[in-house]
Amino acid sequence: MFHQPRDIDTALLLRSQFPDATVVNGATDVSVAINHGAMHPRAVIDLSRIDVLRAISHDGEMFVMGAGVTFAQLGRCHLRALREAALSVAGPAIRNQGTIGGNLVTASPAGDGCVALLAMGGTIELVSERRGPRWVNVREFFLGYRRTALAADELVTRIRVPYNPATRWYKIGKRGAVNISIVCCAAARRPDGSFGLAFGCVGPTPMAAPKAEAVLNAGPVTSECIARAVEVAATEVAPIDDHRGSAVYRTAMCRTLTCRLLCDLATGDGKGDADAFSAGAAA
Amino acid sequence: MPSALAPLPDDIPNVRIACTVNGEPVVREAPVDCTLLSFLRDIVGLTGTKGACLEGECGSCTVLVDGTPVTSCLMLAAQVAERNVTTIEGLSDGNALDVLQDKFIETGAAQCGYCTPGLIMAARALLDEHPNIEESDLLTALEGNICRCTGYASILEAVRRAHRELVP
Repeated sequence: MFHQPRDIDTALLLRSQFPDATVVNGATDVSVAINHGAMHPRAVIDLSRIDVLRAISHDGEMFVMGAGVTFAQLGRCHLRALREAALSVAGPAIRNQGTIGGNLVTASPAGDGCVALLAMGGTIELVSERRGPRWVNVREFFLGYRRTALAADELVTRIRVPYNPATRWYKIGKRGAVNISIVCCAAARRPDGSFGLAFGCVGPTPMAAPKAEAVLNAGPVTSECIARAVEVAATEVAPIDDHRGSAVYRTAMCRTLTCRLLCDLATGDGKGDADAFSAGAAA
Repeated sequence: MPSALAPLPDDIPNVRIACTVNGEPVVREAPVDCTLLSFLRDIVGLTGTKGACLEGECGSCTVLVDGTPVTSCLMLAAQVAERNVTTIEGLSDGNALDVLQDKFIETGAAQCGYCTPGLIMAARALLDEHPNIEESDLLTALEGNICRCTGYASILEAVRRAHRELVP
């Protein structure tokens, strides 16, 4: 059966009634599994017609995106790391399909959107028809390789990040587009002054570097402090050798990217992303 | 195509899909896990859209859904219910080619030709959405489409010429 609910309540009811159904939004990851013969869903719940899941909003304190916000939409948003991460995903056609909620639930270690959210300090709203909503820190969402805290009767509905952070993003891949990360890194100075640092493709899940963040948060953020954070970050990642790159190379790139992004943040004008975005638009 | 890659289980339920393809109403049954690419080619019979990598690396299968370019191998056919799908077959008017098709021929932009339908659909969406484009818009719009014959120079020139013809 194919279900295409138009509102969240109906979707939650379907989710609890059909726990074995495959939930899709853009369906980009599920379709790859179908094309490879790895998956043959007999029941599908398609969330792509729920308009409220496509909404982006912010008040003074929080930037909130629906789980169905596409990478194309994020590619126009004010938050730099999220915007640049989104524009680094695939090409325009797939960015019109793939969503931030799908990126989280797929939980690939190469999930570029996940890495940006980890650095910015995101929280995810998970809703069950029976138990209602709960907010889970992105850092507690990834449990292992492609495993998450999402329960069988839950849907991801919204993601929020403290507004307005200063963020940076860099992805190392083999080409300029349709590019799966070899290593990617996001760094953020959040509105409360704390630092966030996260990586993709250096462990079984997208991962944050809390010890390196602690070095930065103890401050002051001098070049010596950044150098210590770089060394600590390199001990927190756990990359493997694969066809995209070696563990040694990935660790070296973690150092390089940590240093580059933190130096850039530290020497910046201290303004949040949205201010820089507005200034750019005005110029 | 997917059906050739892996045998499908025979107990996948069918769903009824009603949509518009190239301006014509289409109502067909398809397995619930049928991709839009497979629906167009194997069920509707429009084989102009090509599938190559089947994992989102190449852009060959690009079609328009309500005017927006999508990768048809990476979405489910049932998702396009009530939507307007445009494929390469929908661009020409009888024997009158779309300006992009004309310019692709003029510049020799097709070698093996497998990427051509996807490239033309991606370019069509760009020209429809943005009458005024910069070179960078063009490069971004086509960044998801790979030509393994590496005929990019003539492909880009074809789109530039089509653009000049539309926006003199």
